[in-house]
Amino acid sequence: MVKSTSYLFFFISFGNFLSVYFIFQNDLRNDGRSKQDYRPIELELDIVTHANGSARVRLANTDILVGVKTEIDVPTSNRPEEGKIEFFVDCSANATPEFEGKGGQDLATEIGNYLGSSFASPLSFDLKPLCILKGVQCWKLYVDILILECGGNLFDAVSLAVKAALYNTMVPRVETVAMDGGNVDLQLSGDPFDCWRLDITNIPCLVTLTKIGEHLIVDPTAEEEECSMASLVVAVTESGRINSLCKTSVGSLHPQTLTDALKVGVEVGVGLNKALNEALGREEKRLQSNKPERFGFLK
Amino acid sequence: MPTDNRRIQGPEISTPYCVFGSSTENEDEDGCFKSTDPLSSTRKDGRALLEHRKIYMKTGVVSQAKGSAYIELNNTKVICSVFDPREIPNRVEYSQHGELFCVLKFAPFSCTTRRSHQQDAEEKELSLNLKRALEPAVCRHEFPNFQVDIYVLILESDGGSLAASITCAGLALADAHVPMYDLVTAASLGVAGDVLMKDPSEEEEKLCSQHFERSNLNHGLITVSLMGAHTQITQVWQTGSMTTTCVSESLTHLIQSCEETYPIAQRCLVKSVVDTISKKKVPEQS
Amino acid sequence: MAAQYKTIHPVKYYRDFLAHDLRPDGRSPDKTRNVTVNVNSISTADGSSTVRIGNTTVICGIKAELGKPKPDEPECGFMVPNVELPPLCSPLFRPGPPSEEAQAMTCFVSQATSDMVDLKELCVSTDNLAWVLHIDMICLDYDGCVQDACLIALSAALRTVKLPKVEYDAETKLPSVSLDERADLHVKSSPVSTSFAVFDDEIILSDPTGEEENLSSAKLSVVTDGEVILSVHKPGGSALSETQLQDCISVAKDRANLVNELINVALSSVDR
Repeated sequence: MVKSTSYLFFFISFGNFLSVYFIFQNDLRNDGRSKQDYRPIELELDIVTHANGSARVRLANTDILVGVKTEIDVPTSNRPEEGKIEFFVDCSANATPEFEGKGGQDLATEIGNYLGSSFASPLSFDLKPLCILKGVQCWKLYVDILILECGGNLFDAVSLAVKAALYNTMVPRVETVAMDGGNVDLQLSGDPFDCWRLDITNIPCLVTLTKIGEHLIVDPTAEEEECSMASLVVAVTESGRINSLCKTSVGSLHPQTLTDALKVGVEVGVGLNKALNEALGREEKRLQSNKPERFGFLK
Repeated sequence: MPTDNRRIQGPEISTPYCVFGSSTENEDEDGCFKSTDPLSSTRKDGRALLEHRKIYMKTGVVSQAKGSAYIELNNTKVICSVFDPREIPNRVEYSQHGELFCVLKFAPFSCTTRRSHQQDAEEKELSLNLKRALEPAVCRHEFPNFQVDIYVLILESDGGSLAASITCAGLALADAHVPMYDLVTAASLGVAGDVLMKDPSEEEEKLCSQHFERSNLNHGLITVSLMGAHTQITQVWQTGSMTTTCVSESLTHLIQSCEETYPIAQRCLVKSVVDTISKKKVPEQS
Repeated sequence: MAAQYKTIHPVKYYRDFLAHDLRPDGRSPDKTRNVTVNVNSISTADGSSTVRIGNTTVICGIKAELGKPKPDEPECGFMVPNVELPPLCSPLFRPGPPSEEAQAMTCFVSQATSDMVDLKELCVSTDNLAWVLHIDMICLDYDGCVQDACLIALSAALRTVKLPKVEYDAETKLPSVSLDERADLHVKSSPVSTSFAVFDDEIILSDPTGEEENLSSAKLSVVTDGEVILSVHKPGGSALSETQLQDCISVAKDRANLVNELINVALSSVDR
């Protein structure tokens, strides 16, 4: 006898005859979470010394390291007043057996592309402050994303890490710019700590919504991902705007499911953004206070 | 750029002449904005805001392919061909489902600026979206361990390239007798401020991907592909920045557009079947 | 039945037909296929054309850009013709860099067309600025004689090119382009190529289809311009007698006239 609130789903992966089952009982998943709960997230800032900004996010088993490097570049001719941002995703072969060889490349391109399109709107990330001299010089941000371990829900974890790393990024201040004939003369500030920070208020967080049976869940584990037929990634800003939307798996969705999913996604996304901002604030304070006082001339 | 000795190369740097261009007809940016003035409900090409361009579709255009299709939306022209399933190359494990191998390419002369011969990041992204849009519609369990090659070439791009490619590839798959659950049709929509534009042209797409100085206005592009008979969305792809209500509203319009395209695609397929049958009959009579 | 016979014994199948002086598609051995030419079909290109020979389809688009001339030829512009045989046109090709066949065709086309435009006319300012014409011929349907179609497409597309007037400012080193004043490109010659396939070492098939090309023992391409022969390209294979070659040349000449007329009709039909 199956009660209306409890369903038993039985999925068999034919490849290795591994059977995974999930019991949705009283709206709980097999790890005790509700449908819209995230797993514990750990966040660390400023852990790569040679990067301008870095962050590490660990979402249960998913481990992401992001480093941001700034370099001076020439703006593109059709957008002379804007800087550039480029995402590069590297799936470490150790992250999951599927990434061995060239296995992770497609996924890496997918994540990179998707991040690119969620950052594309000037309303999510304004590239104008990155311009140094119109049409001649601008900052280019290289965002290197390293996937160390894959335990499901890569998109969300990557976006959190990227947002945190951009928060942490210090862009050197340019003191003087002068045109000398065709050449540009740039003078960076002499003080290495004289930097400015990027505005991350409108940077979206990605929320993956996975459909298993009739249920929509967030933050799927690797097993749950295996069982889902369709999942949707929504880029949500703190103010609840949708900056990008994409279906990422095989399978299709009914229009009504899609609209429902969007509502859930935005709700969860706003919460996630808030939680991240709070965590960033705390981490920042910890970093400030944790700086050991240094004594002696040899340091 | 690495040198390519398999092609004839021009000089290393060459710039499109439009960059230096000056024209006496001053239609550049002003005309573009005029087209989306919310007060006037007609666009530059004379369409109403929620009017789709006329669609021309034809199947069986490439004689050497198993199935092929051509689609034309005014100036957007896309050709697609599909080939017989072949074993998935470089794959050791057995795969339960067949795969779709999609390659989307812009012809070098298809856009306002010249495109390179090699596949660039945008083309890779569109290829992936195309694959995702078609996968749910194909009975992939019918050809395990095999892949069907789908090649799409955009001959001329004037907005809605992805939507046109999806519809075109869906038709080509059907023309190639690949078992499918349903036909896939796609449509695109642009949002600029409060204005929704169905099937935007290249110029309108550019306008929608910028944002206006007045902040917090919606802007962006959405492409949706739909299996008409099952009302299942196979792919949705949105960029820009919009509110949830705006996205939902756009989705309703897009689904309607997809449903309008569906019978056109059906008719096109029926016509091709009728044509093949009548062609076969002729030699028997003589 | 015929279809099975054809798959199992394609050569015998063809021999049976040719014994009656006919080809499976109903043509006599020396008959060429219908050619259709369509110009200015791509509005994003500066010049374009679509050519069909039977099933074979080639689309040619020309993009004009500005670049710096080579130091060893400071007075010359550039013509950059490339033939592309994408995987779309036939199951023979895979995605990736151009196949050997595509490279050979590019070479053939660039040689045959090297004389069509005076490269010096493409120069704007000596040693500083010149036009670069990127000519891309893409095969959409590969069914024999693709090189012929490419050449026709290129020839038709070149005639539709209208380049804007450019002036080079020596001081600012920047060109200024007036988009409203456009002039036709001066095309000097109109080469047309006609290909032949030699079947069973003796029968010559004019304008072979893809199948016929596959079964043939030798191939021959004759490029003519009016009464003049520009090139005869016969890469190996079985030998030909002199009279056979003469016959081919006369077929090629007749066809060249026909094709050039077609191009002119297509050009005049477009509102220019």
